[in-house]
Amino acid sequence: MPRSTKSEKLYIRRNVPFELYEINILNAGDAELQTISRELGIGLSLDEMKVVQQHYRKLKRNPTDVELQTIGQTWSEHCFHKTFKGKIVFEDEEIESLFKTYIFRATKELEPEWCFSVFEDNAGIVLFDENHGVAVKVETHNHPSAIEPFGGAATGVGGVIRDILGVWADPIACTDVLCFGPLDFPHERLPPGVKHPRYVFRGVIAGIGCYGNNMGIPTVSGAIRFDESYTGNVVVYCGCVGMLPLDKFRRQARKGDVIVLAGGKTGRDGIHGVTFASAELTEKSEEVSRPAVQIANPIEEEKLKRAILRIRDAELASAITDLGGGGISCAVGETAHRFGLGATVELDKVPLKYAGLAPWEIYVSESQERMLLAVPRQNLNAVLQVFEEEDVEASAIGVYTDDGVIRVYYRGETVAEIDVPFLFAPPRVRRKAFWKPPRIEEPQFPEPRDLASTLMELLGSPNIASRENVIRTYDHEVKGNTVLKPLHGELAGPSDAAVIKPLDESWKGIAISCGINPNYGKIDAYWMAASAIDEAIRNNVAVGGKRIALLDNFTWGNPEKPDRLGSLVRACQACYDFAKAFETPFISGKDSLYNESPLGPVTPTLLITAIGIVEDVRSVVSMDVKTPNDLLYVVGETFHELGGSEYYALKGFVGSSVPKVNASKAKQTMRSMGEAIENGLVKACHDISEGGLAVALAEMAFTGGYGVEISLEKVPVRGLTRNDFILFSESNSRFIVEVSEKSREEFERLMRGTVCGCVGKVTRTSSFCVYGLEGEALIDVSIDVLRRRWKSGLGGSQL
Amino acid sequence: MMFKARVEVSLKKGHTDPEGETTAKLLRELGYMVETVGVSKVFTVTLKANSKAEAENLVEEMCRRLLANPTKDDYSYTVEEVK
Amino acid sequence: MEIRVRGKPAVKREEARVLIMRVGGTNCDKETQRAFQDLGAQAHVVHINQIVKKKHMISECDALVFPGGFSYGDYVRAGAIWAKWIVAKLGNEIKRFLGEGKPILGICNGFQVLVEMGVLPAFHGISEFPEAALATNSPPGYNCRWVYIRHENRGNCVFTQHIDRNAVLRIPVAHSEGRFIFPKEKENACLEKLLEGDQLVFRYCSQNGEPAEGAYPVNPNGSFYDIAGICNPEGTVLGLMPHPERAFYWWQLPDWTRKMVLPQYGDGKQIFEGMLRYLEKKF
Repeated sequence: MPRSTKSEKLYIRRNVPFELYEINILNAGDAELQTISRELGIGLSLDEMKVVQQHYRKLKRNPTDVELQTIGQTWSEHCFHKTFKGKIVFEDEEIESLFKTYIFRATKELEPEWCFSVFEDNAGIVLFDENHGVAVKVETHNHPSAIEPFGGAATGVGGVIRDILGVWADPIACTDVLCFGPLDFPHERLPPGVKHPRYVFRGVIAGIGCYGNNMGIPTVSGAIRFDESYTGNVVVYCGCVGMLPLDKFRRQARKGDVIVLAGGKTGRDGIHGVTFASAELTEKSEEVSRPAVQIANPIEEEKLKRAILRIRDAELASAITDLGGGGISCAVGETAHRFGLGATVELDKVPLKYAGLAPWEIYVSESQERMLLAVPRQNLNAVLQVFEEEDVEASAIGVYTDDGVIRVYYRGETVAEIDVPFLFAPPRVRRKAFWKPPRIEEPQFPEPRDLASTLMELLGSPNIASRENVIRTYDHEVKGNTVLKPLHGELAGPSDAAVIKPLDESWKGIAISCGINPNYGKIDAYWMAASAIDEAIRNNVAVGGKRIALLDNFTWGNPEKPDRLGSLVRACQACYDFAKAFETPFISGKDSLYNESPLGPVTPTLLITAIGIVEDVRSVVSMDVKTPNDLLYVVGETFHELGGSEYYALKGFVGSSVPKVNASKAKQTMRSMGEAIENGLVKACHDISEGGLAVALAEMAFTGGYGVEISLEKVPVRGLTRNDFILFSESNSRFIVEVSEKSREEFERLMRGTVCGCVGKVTRTSSFCVYGLEGEALIDVSIDVLRRRWKSGLGGSQL
Repeated sequence: MMFKARVEVSLKKGHTDPEGETTAKLLRELGYMVETVGVSKVFTVTLKANSKAEAENLVEEMCRRLLANPTKDDYSYTVEEVK
Repeated sequence: MEIRVRGKPAVKREEARVLIMRVGGTNCDKETQRAFQDLGAQAHVVHINQIVKKKHMISECDALVFPGGFSYGDYVRAGAIWAKWIVAKLGNEIKRFLGEGKPILGICNGFQVLVEMGVLPAFHGISEFPEAALATNSPPGYNCRWVYIRHENRGNCVFTQHIDRNAVLRIPVAHSEGRFIFPKEKENACLEKLLEGDQLVFRYCSQNGEPAEGAYPVNPNGSFYDIAGICNPEGTVLGLMPHPERAFYWWQLPDWTRKMVLPQYGDGKQIFEGMLRYLEKKF
């Protein structure tokens, strides 16, 4: 209990043999309400504190610390997503809720019958086949990772795996997308309290590898981006994919069901992780927030997983949820709220790591590796026995009631009595937002003479270079079901998506891909979001993925600042427009706001994760060229779209010509590509993204071990007259495709109505050959040289 | 009586210490004139025994049975009574 | 303690009972089970608690497998805690099992366990203290990659009798403690003994079968003499760092999309097949 001498009268210690305070809010003025919020570390605004005050005035009593902490946790941005659910005034228009107006609306309007459960549980669930569902969730764990990179990243992975267990699914694959400051950031420019990106990079990667590897869940997909704005605020997206037999899915807690807490013991770790995640990072964060970082124990979670899957298969429980932000307080509260119940909880029954925890600490602790089950009383012994057999501690800590009130007891004393409907009706925030296009000019510079060296530089640049040194530290093969691996083939090329074959008895697969283009957000968050959606989908289509579902993960700055919120609105608008147009519903999402440090806000960063179904994994297509003399096609049109491109970045520019998406044409392209792959006409396929056509083609060549020869005259372009722009433009909705001579006719017939050009062929040589618009020899360089440069980009074998 | 033992398990001379070497290299990169770095593992054990000699015997046994692998590890320990 | 192998009866494949042990942190049990089942044997994954409580008996099975994973979090040393635990609780059962000529396979963490148990290399029978170690990789860190291993056994190892000597197998590794070493001062003597007793089974090599000679990444962990797998003097216990269960089916291969004609299985199958063939024979 934090106390200052001034405010001592605000806290009245109840006469019980343990620490329990009543908070004197009944008579508190505005300043005192703010003091209380600050001193208890509950992060509530004055308006919110006033609503709490009114509530307790009606009850004619003061709240206990347990109650106020519970309210603080439940109403936090992290748990309640106030900004996404709040009202926003944007350019004379009032948006009722970003979530409902944009994200969920696309899903609702599309209403696909294959969406089993979306935006309801810890994870979204889509159908895999008649009997199985695929559960997917992607979380952010930015703030904890900035403070303690290893622990923050590891517990991020642990947390998202529990989200998957929280819908009764068996976690089968992890994905991780990470954004760091430049690894060569000058030490002297680092403000106090900010760790060097290299230190953060090593720690985060080790933490991610540690958790997935130890639990035996393959880490199969992801991305790494670098930008100065991440220097003070690393971005860590942890995703997990799970499988569940639909007939074992139980989601109906009832009155009388026993609340069973299972897994790790409860300690002070992670207390106030939630409120901490919803505040900006300051110089003091490290000192002040260190206890908020949780300690990871993947082996505990591995055991927990085994037990939970056994309980699922034996159909012993009626509901399940993970313990994440807010600990027991949120898990019990959300379960009670969801099923219209109340609950009694006895905190004495919670196994503790050490003595001396106050009741509120037990109730809100975020100790890792814990799950909460609702168990019909007659199954309790059977459930506890399963946990015992798996060496997992489990205790019955309470029971669900039907009166809509949560009563918490400790040593016989009532320490909290909270009305569930009140707890889940926080005042809605109303925020202002505006957006105006930044004034960035399109750069003017002459076409470089030596485009071979430009290509080399791009291949070695941080956002493009091989991630092999990172990916090898993740076990991407465990479970033995990774059909298409993140590092493809003997030469470890970059796959567009990973493909998992989850069932022994079926050839059906799951394609996992992502799209992320933070650079474009510097120009317009709308087109950044459109591009991320297009990229995630085309990566999925490139390997043979169909019937694609999306997940959104926003990492933004402080939403209370109208410019930050304005770009968030723009991004959400694009999410609706393009999810609807592509018929790819959102099934789950998560936002992390307040990503600001002494170095400023992070550049708006939207991650789109795409989950597709592969009807038969035997038809999966990889990105490496396969056979000399095969034809190479560029599918999709190339525009003057270099704004935010890696090419401009290399030249020191951002530019304004951000890549756009023409939804109807893009959809047509994706459909034709899907058909061509399904009909077995495509021998290799690679999406064109960072670094444009040149980089994508180089990757295909050096992964396949054959040379290529193309002519830029044959690339379908609009309004482009420069070789460098054709080579490095990052226009969306494009693929490079290898087709054998014998499939040529059929492929071209299928591509009618889609912009597509045969640009050259695979050669038996080892040279990467490009002819310019005038027919001149523009680039002629060995694929081994290109590959070596690409591989050494992130600093060779030493991370 | 209660004793507290501090056991240090380190690599025997002659064996490669990849963690130590990598750490040394990084420290040199950061500008420190580091010659070598050795990585060892420390276990602090509290245990009950009737005498210090008995406690030492028990700790010796723990090292031999579990904490060290004689193929590559050396171990050393100190035992103190806790009051 | 010396192991004396008694006569082993022939077991029909479909009746062969393979016991795959697990403990908290084991995580390659399912795919290992799948491999044996695919080849027609019975395979059961059993938590060690059930064995200690005598709900399952080691003596009732025909082969024992220690699969990959991070048993007990690999705290202290990879495999050490599980190994000491088994020696303490099931040491006699294991000795009896080996005495009956029944095979034990250890993959990755399982190999680490067998070395820590003193069951490998077991130059003079099961040793009280480990005679070798699987130390931290050099270069350090977790490494998940496909490697090539050359079969070097001259016929002693019962798992690989059907594999040609010098045949090259392609199987992935994934570990951070896989550097096989002997005590420095006895390195050469131990190697000689290993070769003499025909206990060397697999060495890391290039695609063409040339020894790695320590060069990374052909030798992915810095193992002494490129050692990837060894057996006991009787040939009935095999431990190896690579994961054959991840190279069992063709679609697990890292570049199957390049192949015009697909094999039915990957090279890892041979290890499981070898064990089952041995069970089918009588000695």
